[in-house]
Amino acid sequence: MSPVATTTGLGTGSPGDGGAGLGEGAARRRELILAQSKRSLGRRHLAGRVAVALCMVAVAISLAPLVALVAYTTSRGVHALSVDFFTKIPTPAGIAGGGISNAIVGSLIIVGLAAVMAVPVGIATALFLLERRGRIAGTIRFTADVLTGVPSIALGIFAYTVLVEPFAHFSAIAGSFALAVLMLPVIIRSSEAAMRNVPRSEWEAGLALGVRRGRVVRSIVLRGALPGLVTGNLLAVARAVGETAPLLFTTGSQLFNLNPAQPTAAVPLTIFSLGTSPFPADQQTAWGAAFVLLVFVLVLSIVARLVAGRLNRQAR
Amino acid sequence: MPDDGARTASTLEEIPPAERTPIAGVKEALQRRWSRPGGRGYAGLRWGGAGLFTAVAVALVVSLLTSSSQAFAHSGLSLLWTGTWDPTHKIYGAETFIVGTLITTAVALVLAVPIGVATAAFLSELAPRWLATPLSVLIDLIAAVPSIVVGLWGLLVLTPAFAHHVEPFLKKIPVLEWFFHGPALGPSMLLAGVVLAVMILPTMVALSRTALAGVALTDREAARALGGTRWQVVRRAVIPGARTGIEGAVTLAMGRALGESIAVAMVIGNAYVIPHSLLAPGATLGSAIINNFGGVTPGLDRSEVIALVVILLALTALVNAGGQLLLRSRAREQVS
Repeated sequence: MSPVATTTGLGTGSPGDGGAGLGEGAARRRELILAQSKRSLGRRHLAGRVAVALCMVAVAISLAPLVALVAYTTSRGVHALSVDFFTKIPTPAGIAGGGISNAIVGSLIIVGLAAVMAVPVGIATALFLLERRGRIAGTIRFTADVLTGVPSIALGIFAYTVLVEPFAHFSAIAGSFALAVLMLPVIIRSSEAAMRNVPRSEWEAGLALGVRRGRVVRSIVLRGALPGLVTGNLLAVARAVGETAPLLFTTGSQLFNLNPAQPTAAVPLTIFSLGTSPFPADQQTAWGAAFVLLVFVLVLSIVARLVAGRLNRQAR
Repeated sequence: MPDDGARTASTLEEIPPAERTPIAGVKEALQRRWSRPGGRGYAGLRWGGAGLFTAVAVALVVSLLTSSSQAFAHSGLSLLWTGTWDPTHKIYGAETFIVGTLITTAVALVLAVPIGVATAAFLSELAPRWLATPLSVLIDLIAAVPSIVVGLWGLLVLTPAFAHHVEPFLKKIPVLEWFFHGPALGPSMLLAGVVLAVMILPTMVALSRTALAGVALTDREAARALGGTRWQVVRRAVIPGARTGIEGAVTLAMGRALGESIAVAMVIGNAYVIPHSLLAPGATLGSAIINNFGGVTPGLDRSEVIALVVILLALTALVNAGGQLLLRSRAREQVS
């Protein structure tokens, strides 16, 4: 990882054996050891400084491309924004003007429906994990963890085989379903963690009052964990809204559409099709759409973190 | 919380009416509270949620397996080591895509792992708090940048930059030129790997930081007490102590890199030959799925593409399960 492994071992720097008045030989030895240890410490401090500098370079390297990406998208995207951009639908390929209203509305419908599908199921499953120990809960938890890493394209093809093929046409619902499957494991694990933070004594206080379990969960657990639940779910939505691969073969269309059972446009799909087009006008629109998406996702993430921050302050 | 409305409801009927003492009456009243629709509804809700989730996970595997069964019946496992993808002659092979996936992932890991661990070490151990906190938040936020935006940037900004500056430069470096021969086109395995590295870096940093922060204070103090400098403490005590966690982070980042499709499809050039240089265009499982599924005819062709999905799914599930087990064993180590 770094060229610093040549430093001497940890122990060599310890000062001498502290024998005053042990004769001349001992004093000279002491001197030698002191000089040696000073050199060693100097060397090790130098190595440390080099290593820290290398780490700082690493920080710069990790931040640079991402900051450059955000800055570039912003500088290109801002120019594409106009009233038309938000109210009109795309012009034919290569012709300037037009907007992405169809995609914005479509994305909101698709992601909204996905949240409606995934949030209740996710929280219910989290409650299941919270109240049960043992093999079933362990298996479900492990499934959720592994599902978090399933490639999003696989979820898109899954939704295709289940919801597109039988109906022989694309629909917003099929895309929502793919996104819901994508969000589910994230929601389950974050909700479980949030609700586990509600002190056990509060559950027990509720139960001791003779309150029914469902009511305890609703009024004490869900309410107590609300900020954490909001954070986890918002982050899941933020992740879903930028996903392209699950929508590619499930929702696509260029039309303005409000019916979830029909093909619907989405912002990431618009970026993909316009960005890969050879016409500069199309690419310009793609940058605009990318900027809108970026802002939306970042705002969602920041709001989610602010909610989490408020939770932490309350807990303190 | 082990209790469960449905179970208590059944015990209610077990109390014969004649034996109902006042205490039994209270018991009964309490039990009735539990068995009222609210209690049962709540149990149903939990089981319903867990059941639905499990059903979806099972359906995912089953539907992909059944839709690809035709392909596996046609090509068998030789799909894995056939290097040609030629639907018109009914020859299907995933080898090119598997090799492409492994190479791009390797490039991404070679770039992202050292940089990510060093960044995490700096943020968690070396930087002052006033610097570490905002930088960590920044990296966490940047992790939310959608892959399509990274892909767009890779396609429209990095591709020309690589074709004109980066790749010609790399070809001039004496030892590395062995990896970088052939024409500098822009779209290449290298570019795909770089784009993947950018995408997995935030994951790497965040998970490694958690692992490093989890190393016990006593370990650091012991190393410090032995006369270690600040860096030696990090190098000899903290990083080895967080090893399992970092390995878990690497595995999960690897899972992400293996499974990413859209951004790779935009920058890899989509050539269906096994690349002999990092500058050559290629294809990964993800990019091949994206490029082939759209116009595919139903039947064998589509089934073969879905077989690619199954291969990709198996690969990532394996890697992710490994990563999760590593992270869990770390959690257990810390408890004990």
